[in-house]
Amino acid sequence: MRLWAKRAIPWSKKDVIRTLNLMKNLKIFYLLALHSLKTTFQGRVGAVFFLLGKIVRVAFIFIFIALVFSRTNLIKGYNLNQILLFYLTYNIIDTLSQILYREVYRFRPLVVSGGFDLILLKPFHPFIRILVGGMDFLDALLIIPYILAALYIYITGFHGDFIHFLIYLAFLFNSMLLVTAFHIIVLCIGIITSEVDHTIMIYRDITSLGRFPMDIYKEPVRGLFTFIIPIGVMMTVPSQALMGILSLPIAVFSFLVSCSLLGLSLLFWQFALKRYQSWGG
Amino acid sequence: MFLNLLFNFFLWTAVFDKRSYFGSYPKDGLISYILYANLIATFVMGSRTAEIGAYINDGTIINMLLKPVSFFKYYFARDIADKVMNISFAIFELCVVVVLFNAHLIFPQNPLLFVVFFINGVLISFYINLMLSFLGFWTPEIWAPRFLFTMLVFFVSGSYFPLNLLPGPIYHVLLATPFPYLFYLPAQTLTGHIDSSLLVIQLIASYAWVFLLYMLSKKMWNSGNKSFSFFGR
Repeated sequence: MRLWAKRAIPWSKKDVIRTLNLMKNLKIFYLLALHSLKTTFQGRVGAVFFLLGKIVRVAFIFIFIALVFSRTNLIKGYNLNQILLFYLTYNIIDTLSQILYREVYRFRPLVVSGGFDLILLKPFHPFIRILVGGMDFLDALLIIPYILAALYIYITGFHGDFIHFLIYLAFLFNSMLLVTAFHIIVLCIGIITSEVDHTIMIYRDITSLGRFPMDIYKEPVRGLFTFIIPIGVMMTVPSQALMGILSLPIAVFSFLVSCSLLGLSLLFWQFALKRYQSWGG
Repeated sequence: MFLNLLFNFFLWTAVFDKRSYFGSYPKDGLISYILYANLIATFVMGSRTAEIGAYINDGTIINMLLKPVSFFKYYFARDIADKVMNISFAIFELCVVVVLFNAHLIFPQNPLLFVVFFINGVLISFYINLMLSFLGFWTPEIWAPRFLFTMLVFFVSGSYFPLNLLPGPIYHVLLATPFPYLFYLPAQTLTGHIDSSLLVIQLIASYAWVFLLYMLSKKMWNSGNKSFSFFGR
């Protein structure tokens, strides 16, 4: 007890301010999420249709995969369970990004109306409002079956190894860094050009190429979407890590790419902010 | 659309990596089907009618009702203009895939039959899209049903694979819906895979769907106009 007391580092003023700031930001995030939940429940019929649409999309791709594998055993060396894991991982990452970053889709009106000025003036980081300020609770419902299905396939089809599972989680986190970086870049493009809708749609279309492993694509498409626009790193690498078929150079490359892209996106954010002109009247 | 085309093309190319047939389809037949179906889908599904629902909700539709033109014809003309613009890009994208990745396209077959199915597909899509927008007369929730429709249509119309690869009963049930007439049958006609034993029934069914959907959309439009009210500006 005495030893612990001796080693305990007293909180500096900076630490206290940082902790209070974090608590404040979490409170704001919580309030914005609550607001988003209430908005979702205001249009219940719409919410049901959207939810149904998303379920239909995923179910149809499952049927499609089942149809393909009813007549073949392997696609580019991957069996049914492996392809399903790739697809479920894609869905987990994509859904997580929808849950967290839905507000990016609503950024354009803020830029063209000048409403973004009011957010910049507020005493918290603008990302809390424009990046994570509109949690999508419909997607939060969908992610649970994806996770359960992925776990089921991993445990039954791969005799689940806990170490690989931990590595998989690390690579999922890495993918989320990339997802965050891409969303920050979309915000920056929105500030500079006032164009968000098409940019985010292009991003979504590009990421949808990661539904299946990058191996199905031929060069130069595979190289382009692995090394230049790292969709492969985002969507394919975590599943490969889980299956134990990821090479060390690609693993290192993945972490380097995500950290670099996140850093670059933050630099781009600073650059975009300097070029922001209020459009408000 | 282009990236979706790339996904489909590479996926099917990968499936044919170590086999020459998938079901009754040779590699060139299936790849040609995917490429033609995506091209036709770009034209058939391109539509300006989605904006009508928003115009009904915010009252702007009044400006159109006052004009001395047929609303249906006006929007059909807008739709065609939009589709023509889309198809020019889609043809370029198809050429990119064919030239860059050596896709072997089957030379288009049955041109007359294709035109019939294609026109019916365009009309079916137009009337369904109109009806989805006319929901705005009764509810502000216009985007969610359209989203569900879009999700449904790309699968059950044969965008990912020819529908006759599905088990027989499911395939025949789908043939009774308007979806296969959007781009599955036009694409099958172009690749020469049309089932001649079902041809007459499919032709009659496609005309029947056009007629039925036209009547339904007219009915929705008329009853929507009667129930429509909007506060002044």
